[in-house]
Amino acid sequence: MADFLKFLSSIRWQDYVDIIINSYILFRVYVLFHGTNAFRVLVGITSLWLLQELAASIGLILTSWAVRGITTAAAIIIIVVFRNEIRSALQVRNVKAFIWGFPIREQPTPVDVVVQTVYQMAKKRIGALLVFPAKEDLGELIHGGIPWHGTVSPEMLLSIFWPNNPVHDGAIIILGTRIVEVGVLLPLSQRQDLPSYYGTRHRAALGLAERSDALIIAVSEERGRVTAARGNSITPFSEPEKLAQVIKQHLNISDGMPAAAQKRERLRLSMAAVLSLLVMTGIWFGFTRGQDTITALNAPIEYVNRPVAFEILDTSTDEARVQLYGSSALIKSLRPGQVLVRVDLSKAVEGRNVFPITQDNVILPPGVFLNKVQPSSIDVQLDVPVAKELAVQVDWVGKLPDNLNLRRISVEPETVNVTGGSQILQHVSTLYTAPVRLDTLEKSGSITTALVLSPPSLKLVSNSQEKVVVKYDLEERAGKERR
Amino acid sequence: MPLFGEECMYKTRKKSLLLITAALAMLVSTPMSHVRAQVGAQTPSPQPVETGDLSQRPKLTQATMCERVDNLAPVRPGMVFSVSNGQVCCYTSFDPVPQATLVYHRWFHRDELSTQTRLRVYPPKWATYSVIQLRDTDKGPWRVEITDQNGRVLNVLRFSIVD
Repeated sequence: MADFLKFLSSIRWQDYVDIIINSYILFRVYVLFHGTNAFRVLVGITSLWLLQELAASIGLILTSWAVRGITTAAAIIIIVVFRNEIRSALQVRNVKAFIWGFPIREQPTPVDVVVQTVYQMAKKRIGALLVFPAKEDLGELIHGGIPWHGTVSPEMLLSIFWPNNPVHDGAIIILGTRIVEVGVLLPLSQRQDLPSYYGTRHRAALGLAERSDALIIAVSEERGRVTAARGNSITPFSEPEKLAQVIKQHLNISDGMPAAAQKRERLRLSMAAVLSLLVMTGIWFGFTRGQDTITALNAPIEYVNRPVAFEILDTSTDEARVQLYGSSALIKSLRPGQVLVRVDLSKAVEGRNVFPITQDNVILPPGVFLNKVQPSSIDVQLDVPVAKELAVQVDWVGKLPDNLNLRRISVEPETVNVTGGSQILQHVSTLYTAPVRLDTLEKSGSITTALVLSPPSLKLVSNSQEKVVVKYDLEERAGKERR
Repeated sequence: MPLFGEECMYKTRKKSLLLITAALAMLVSTPMSHVRAQVGAQTPSPQPVETGDLSQRPKLTQATMCERVDNLAPVRPGMVFSVSNGQVCCYTSFDPVPQATLVYHRWFHRDELSTQTRLRVYPPKWATYSVIQLRDTDKGPWRVEITDQNGRVLNVLRFSIVD
């Protein structure tokens, strides 16, 4: 018991937050995707991943390799094949619904009202087309709709499909208790085997049914018949009760016992929430609590808060050797850039500064701990940037032909202005050109050559030329002077 | 790396006796360290300090790099010298020299002080030179700063040692 309490006390509050956040994310994925084909495939992929880990752990090389390949391919396939379902699940009306919305809280469609009105319209020979979307997004299949957002009621339905209404020829989209769009144009079915008495309204109902998981109710204007299209089938319904049953089944509304159904739904969600918490706790423990792995790596040193007046002239080292420990999963997942040594230069002075490297200087990802770091201190040489005028000198190389003597040289410009650290520039008085070969010189002339900034930290001031013109005078050596 | 430097002096015939007498007097009165310096030992750098009467300073009339000095005159002056020559000289002459004083030839290879030679000059005019022996590692750009004893730069000669 004491050990358990000690273990609990070792968990930081950040760890609790970590587990809760990720559990909730997992739970939301379940809520948003539950019932879709994508969710089932997702479960399958997770199972494959677990199988691959298991195969790898017991040394099944080929199985592990094959399952990994399948998992990777399946992950891509799920995104491509189920893109509509994924979009439909993520495409919600507001952020609150995305983060907090539950299916159980949505008001069910008043099926009885809809069925009753549908048969009333059939009796009056009023044509109608009603769409009940399921999980899939219909955005790419339908067009021409007018946003409505009216509550479902017999009067509302009758008025929309009243023959003189401008939108009476289109379909309506019913979501929950709302008619969200009216005057919607549906894709037509291309099937040739439909009975001749099926008109455009029926072809439209079947066209959308073939391309999506929606249920479409069509009311014939001429014959006064009610038909329902879903998938590849279109079925006439003469009895309102049977139509109501089909709609309720489609909308997942349980008949007769709404309270019991809600209770069952709550239980299912609670179970999912608890399972999410357990899964995430297990994953978290697997990732973070084991401290069985030690590794060493070179971490770059980052200098921060450098006083504006100073430049870093030199440092004793550019990286530190850090020895880390933690769970093997976290140690294996370490990436370059996640570990670095940060040195605060805010209190540095001009000249040599020695900074001790302690645990506070080493930036680590959560769950990874420092064992030791080398070197234990870093020398940082700071300098004040200044400008200086430097003479330009030609860097001649090669061999001048024996019969020639380079008598005079002039360089234009003779000097250039550079900026750099004062301590560096203290020892620099000349800027040399790029090497200029003597072998090719035959007579007096001029050449243009570039300047070499050495040390590289030097910079030419903005108005200084990067190239110089070298004029040179060659003279013939007397015969006896030749080497 | 230069191996050693040396000084050479000449005097006019008319005043040769006078100068020899003066030189002997200077040697007698000069500490031994200065005598060593005249044969090219590395000496402390002169610090640039603006002191003394301007009229008492020697006036540099000629400064040139050359392959050698023959008969007290520079031979084959130029801007580039082959390392195969084995040596290179920095020749300087002063006129007038109001009073005996020191000048320095400070040899820099790529901005790094390689050696400096302390040279003594005497009235009324004086020519002197320093020389370095060349090795393969001496290739590259060089400069010689000619300074007076107060560190004031009288002239800078730039040249290159090449193949």
